Amino acid sequence: MSGVGGIRNGSPEWGGFDDNIIQGGGSAVIDMENMDDTSGSSFEDMGEMHQRMKEEEDEVDPDMAAAEDEDGEFLGVKGLKGQLGRQVADQVWQAGKRQASKAFNLYANIDILRPYFDVEPIQVRNRLLESLIPVRTFSIPQKIAGELYGPLMLVFTLVAILLHGMKTSGTVIREGTLMGTAIGTCFGYWLGVSSFIYFLAYLCNAQITMLQMMSLLGYGLFGHCIVLFVTYNVHFHFLFYVFWLVIGGLSTLRVVSILVSRTVGSTQRLILCGTVSALHMLFLLYLHFAYHKVVEGILDTLEGPNIPPFQRVPRDIQLVSNNVVNATVKTIGLLLETH
Amino acid sequence: MPPEQLTQSVPHSGHFSEPTYTPPTLSYLNDPNSFEDELPLLDELGINFSHIWQKTLTVLNPMKPADGSIMNESDLTGPMIFCLALGATLLLSGKVHFGYVYEISAVGCLGIYCLLNLMSVTEVSCGCVASVLGYCLLPMVLLSSSAVIFSLQGIIGTILTVAVIGWCSLSASKMFISALSMEGQQLLVAYPCALLYGVFALLTVF
Repeated sequence: MSGVGGIRNGSPEWGGFDDNIIQGGGSAVIDMENMDDTSGSSFEDMGEMHQRMKEEEDEVDPDMAAAEDEDGEFLGVKGLKGQLGRQVADQVWQAGKRQASKAFNLYANIDILRPYFDVEPIQVRNRLLESLIPVRTFSIPQKIAGELYGPLMLVFTLVAILLHGMKTSGTVIREGTLMGTAIGTCFGYWLGVSSFIYFLAYLCNAQITMLQMMSLLGYGLFGHCIVLFVTYNVHFHFLFYVFWLVIGGLSTLRVVSILVSRTVGSTQRLILCGTVSALHMLFLLYLHFAYHKVVEGILDTLEGPNIPPFQRVPRDIQLVSNNVVNATVKTIGLLLETH
Repeated sequence: MPPEQLTQSVPHSGHFSEPTYTPPTLSYLNDPNSFEDELPLLDELGINFSHIWQKTLTVLNPMKPADGSIMNESDLTGPMIFCLALGATLLLSGKVHFGYVYEISAVGCLGIYCLLNLMSVTEVSCGCVASVLGYCLLPMVLLSSSAVIFSLQGIIGTILTVAVIGWCSLSASKMFISALSMEGQQLLVAYPCALLYGVFALLTVF
């Protein structure tokens, strides 16, 4: 501040030979003479200018400010152009900022999802149980709950079950990759298949919205969660197939029956329901075998190299089938003896 | 003159022979940032040990009803201590998972913050969510310290893990519903918290 003041006292007021051409080099005095350079009027610099001007306003002496205003007016056209450019850039900055915040509030506003999370625990429990009960009447379009809390929690539960299954198998992979795989698989299925079935439903003229489709498919994952939770802990192939058919089948039948009730025309019903059944059942099969095979591999390695390769896969079934055969032979023997 | 000086002097100073003595309480008129007027260090940092202890006791006793007002302040000192303690106890088990604890905490806080904002009528701040989730991590720290002594991969370990997850999520949901007045939805809030603490448990057990 003292440096600029000293130079100004010695030289004419509009002397252009000063070294302080670029404003804002730590000086607290706004030197209006040198504000004509266009470095401060570019759009990108307006944010910085605002900040600096705010700081400088706090330090400027009111008397000096009055003197500088007079200088600005005295400079005539040259000074006006600089100020005009700056004001225009300032207005463009403000307008851009307003529009960006409006767009953010419109599209990134999660409040539009608020009604879909307004549920009671008893409603969620009832919907979970109903997801395994197929409907019988196809003539009346069945009601689907437009809710996202239950489906979202079921997808996260499936992710947790997959993670648990991968961890109990003892696979030493970094948790980040395991988590990414599990989340990608489950969310990919829920969102991807919902979108695809919604697209097919649009083609087949079915009366269903995207939200209802996501809710229906999400609740359909309840059966998957049960099957995987049991079969990841009880390593029994026969049990898995039974559960796959019964529980997976019931869950698929529920989804299919609701879609049939909302679709008109045999061909359309066939296309839609065939696709949904295939995808739903095959997904469960995929989840079991993609993440279950690892368990068997690790168990076999721990047992040692003495087990011949052809016995690896049906190992558990052999034990049971041996016992069943033994029991059958014994009962036949007993029956023959009594007769 | 001396009796007048005696009556004029400040009674508590005891300096009867110095009538021009200025008491120290008037020094703020000259210097606003004098040493005597500064707040104690802990108050300035916002660390209130009695509140931290109160919240810790609320977590440790899941049956005790939570006071909704203590959640108004987003205190992150306790949670930071508990996260570091979790990392330290994991380190004692031979696992260097400080980064995972940080990532899971951050993503979990964000997820629970979005969910609670969608589910509750009153708005909740991210600091409050982080504070509650951090405090309820204490039982997980106890679990991971027990993992130093014995492995949690057996039956007893599984039962203990499930019990600790339930304890954490029950405490967290109790605090959330008392702070956000969401009576009747405790189970709906507890379940996502249980999933989050389940991920921490996976980190601890395996």
